[in-house]
Amino acid sequence: MKCPRCDSEKVRIMTKSPVGDAWEIYVCDHCCYSWRSTENIQISEIFKLNDEKIANMGIIPPIPPLKK
Amino acid sequence: MTKVYKDLRDFLATLEEEGQLVRIKEEVMPEPDIGAAGRAAANIENSPAILFEKVNGYNYSLVTNVHGSWRNHALMLGLPKDTTIKEQFFELNRRWDKFPVPPKILAREEALCKENVITENINLFDILPLYRINEQDGGFFLSKASVISGDPEFPEDLNKLNVGIYRIQVKDVDRLAIQPMPVHDIAIQLAKAEEKDEPLPVAIALGVSPLVTFMASTPVAYDQNEYEFVGALQDGVPCEIVKADTCDHLYVPAHAEVIIEGYIIPRKRFVEGAFGEFPGSYSGCRKQCEIQITRITHRTKPIFENLYIGMPWTETDYLVGLNTSIPLYKQIKATMPEVVAVNAMYTHGIGVIISTKVRYGGYGKGVAFRLLSTPHGMPYSKIVIIVDEYVDPFNLEQVMWALTTRVKPSKDVVIIPNCSGMVLDPSSNPAGMHDKLIIDATTPVAPEPNPRSCEMLVPSPATPKWEEILRQLQHAAQKK
Repeated sequence: MKCPRCDSEKVRIMTKSPVGDAWEIYVCDHCCYSWRSTENIQISEIFKLNDEKIANMGIIPPIPPLKK
Repeated sequence: MTKVYKDLRDFLATLEEEGQLVRIKEEVMPEPDIGAAGRAAANIENSPAILFEKVNGYNYSLVTNVHGSWRNHALMLGLPKDTTIKEQFFELNRRWDKFPVPPKILAREEALCKENVITENINLFDILPLYRINEQDGGFFLSKASVISGDPEFPEDLNKLNVGIYRIQVKDVDRLAIQPMPVHDIAIQLAKAEEKDEPLPVAIALGVSPLVTFMASTPVAYDQNEYEFVGALQDGVPCEIVKADTCDHLYVPAHAEVIIEGYIIPRKRFVEGAFGEFPGSYSGCRKQCEIQITRITHRTKPIFENLYIGMPWTETDYLVGLNTSIPLYKQIKATMPEVVAVNAMYTHGIGVIISTKVRYGGYGKGVAFRLLSTPHGMPYSKIVIIVDEYVDPFNLEQVMWALTTRVKPSKDVVIIPNCSGMVLDPSSNPAGMHDKLIIDATTPVAPEPNPRSCEMLVPSPATPKWEEILRQLQHAAQKK
């Protein structure tokens, strides 16, 4: 299975429904997208991710310098 | 005596009695039903809270839109549900001055949030019916969670205990992302921990009494304790809290439905988002902090409380409406006593309407400048409308009347370029910079000339009596 947002194959089952065999939740360990097996996932082009976009993302909040 | 709610369930019971809570008894799908119902509730006037009794695949129930109408907002304050917004504003303003009211610290066995404890095989999906709120969200979010954190430098100082609502993404069964923006109190605490490469302990409360959520949404000063404000807004009745299980200096709402305890992992950032935000647009992905969960306590059959967020008005706007207006009112009123009321309810104070007496020519613009120099108004407020003291700033029909009959654009409309702006406002460019628009819709007063002064219509003194008669007749007609 591929991640619908970044096309990575680093996808795993995060969990299954606690009641019955209703659904599974998947998560991408590359871009952190998560979804449910019962969803019809359609990611807008603007929200698709690739390595370049991930590398250039803003960091909130900034990491302060270590105090010695 | 003011009605005070011990916990979320107490408030839900009142909402149901007042016809302001509906139950969905049939099973619903997590997506798209719950997010869609949240949006639908936001579209309906006087909308009720929605309790979903059965969610496909999950153990427990879920409630949304608890704060999502002026009726529910009035009931939160223990007022009759038809109390006007302006009346709610002045009642909140009165109670605000009771701060501080110290919280009551309960023993662990008295606190209902401790009924059940999970320390192994933690899985949020076992406890919470999580769902995607908006279609392009990057995952499942806690949109109404009160996060409690302390100052690592002064852990015993309860004044520096922070209770705030931050957007939280579920990253794994026992892991969350959190968004502490640099302007947020928790970011000050996190920076102190990260400078020493230490984890920051946090507790996250879900499903709390309505004024706790309300105060967690209110930006108060860093050294003001939110629980002491809850006591003030409860008209002097202390808020009940209890010590967290994993950290001696964190205190949580004693009867919360769920308490998640853990710590922010220091000096690491991970992809978070996208997430549909309060201006009605998405904020994209960024690298943000994560929380490792170490313990969950919860009430038996916990109710998951969450909110819909999107294009205003939604439940979010009720949570950042009057509590944004009151501090601004107090700050401006301190030096300009002529100010009557402040309505800073539009997109968290990006749009503000102020009613004021005009002491001398140009005073209306001066009131706008004062707003734009307050800590919140400077970055947030962009469109400022000033109206006369007899115009109700919460009554948009009256405000439009003032704009259409009092404004001469060539002298009353002013644009100040290149000022501070709100980052999430998509028209702010670069993000964080914006222009300010002031519309002075007050009547000219000397020395400003008023070449076409007019004689105002004065309602008959019998009008209030007739308002009451009509209200009672209508009420009786509705009961038939």
